[in-house]
Amino acid sequence: MSTELRTDATELGDARRRVEKLVCDMPGADRPFSEPWELRAFAMAVAAYHEGHYEWSEFQLSLIESIRRWESGDGGEPWSYYLHWLDALEHTLAASGALSDSAALDERTRQVLTTPRDANHHEARREPVTIDPARR
Amino acid sequence: MTESRPEPIRTDTRLNTQEEITARVKALEALLIEKGVMTTAAVDRLAEIYENEVGPQLGARVVARAWTDPEFKQRLLADASAACRELGIGGLQGEEMVVVENTDTVHHVIVCTLCSCYPWPVLGLPPNWYKAPPFRARIVREPRTVLDEDFDFPVPETVEIRVWDSSSELRYWVLPQRPAGSEHLSEAELAELVTRDSMIGVGAPRPVGSGAAA
Repeated sequence: MSTELRTDATELGDARRRVEKLVCDMPGADRPFSEPWELRAFAMAVAAYHEGHYEWSEFQLSLIESIRRWESGDGGEPWSYYLHWLDALEHTLAASGALSDSAALDERTRQVLTTPRDANHHEARREPVTIDPARR
Repeated sequence: MTESRPEPIRTDTRLNTQEEITARVKALEALLIEKGVMTTAAVDRLAEIYENEVGPQLGARVVARAWTDPEFKQRLLADASAACRELGIGGLQGEEMVVVENTDTVHHVIVCTLCSCYPWPVLGLPPNWYKAPPFRARIVREPRTVLDEDFDFPVPETVEIRVWDSSSELRYWVLPQRPAGSEHLSEAELAELVTRDSMIGVGAPRPVGSGAAA
C-alpha cells in the first residue's frame, strides 16, 4: 500500500494545487480547518463546482454576501468562516436548483441529530479483539 | 433528544453547536448524494487532499511530547483524553481515548470493526481504507498478514500483535516507538517524524534524516 500512496502523492499534489488556485482569491481563504465538518463542507463546495452545478464566481459571491451580512449584523453570533461557507453552499445550490427543498434538509438534520452517533456501536471494548502471539 | 421538548439549556453551547452543524453537514451531503449532485467518492477525494490540515499533526505533537517527557507519557498512558487536553487537543469523538504503547515485544493496531470510530481530535478524519470492510474484517482475522501484504509493514515474528476495536465510547490510538538515532532531535523535529499510519499501527514513524518534513 505504501508504494501506491507514494505514486498518489504527486497526483494529490496536482489536485491540491488546482483547488488552491480555485480558492486563492476567496475571502478568508487559507484558514486551516478546526473541525472535521469544515473540511467536509469545503470538499462538497468544490465537488459541486466540479460537477458543473454552479460557476465558482457564484459561490464566491454568495460567500461574500454571507460574510457581509454577518459583519453588518449585531455581532451576536460568533465568527465562523466555515459557517459562512456552509451558508453560501446551501444558497448557491438552492439557486442552481440542485437543492430546492430546504425543508428536506431540515428534516434530515433532525434525523441525524436524533440518531445516536454510531447507534450500533456504543459499548467500550476494553480487551484486544485479536492477539497474534509472537512466534519465536 | 425528544423533539417535542424545548431545547434544554446547555452549559457547553459550543459543543452543542458543533454537533448541530456536524449533523447539518452530514444531512446536506446525504441529500446531495441521493440527488446525484455529487458522488461520495468525489467528496472523499477532495477531503483527502486536505485531510492533513485537520488531522494527524495534532497527534504527532502529542507523540513527540510523550517521547521527550516521561511524566507526560505516564499521564498519556493513564488518561489519554486528559493528557491531550493539557496540549489543548480534544473535542468530538475524543471523549474517552486510550493510548496503547508499542514496545520491542508488542505492536498495536487500531480498527473499528463495526463502523469507523476513530480518534478525530488527534488523527483527523479516518482514511478511506480504515472505513472499508476489507480492512475492518481482515485486520482482525489475520493482522500479521495484512500489515505485511497490504501495508508493506512486516512485524517481526518475535513481536506480539494486538488489535484494538474502537467504539463510540472508547477510541484507541497507538504511541509508536521513538525511532533509533533520534536522541538529538527537538520535540518539533520529532513531531515531523510521526506519521498518521504509525498512530494507527499500520506503519512506522519516518526514519531519522529522511528529510520528509511533510
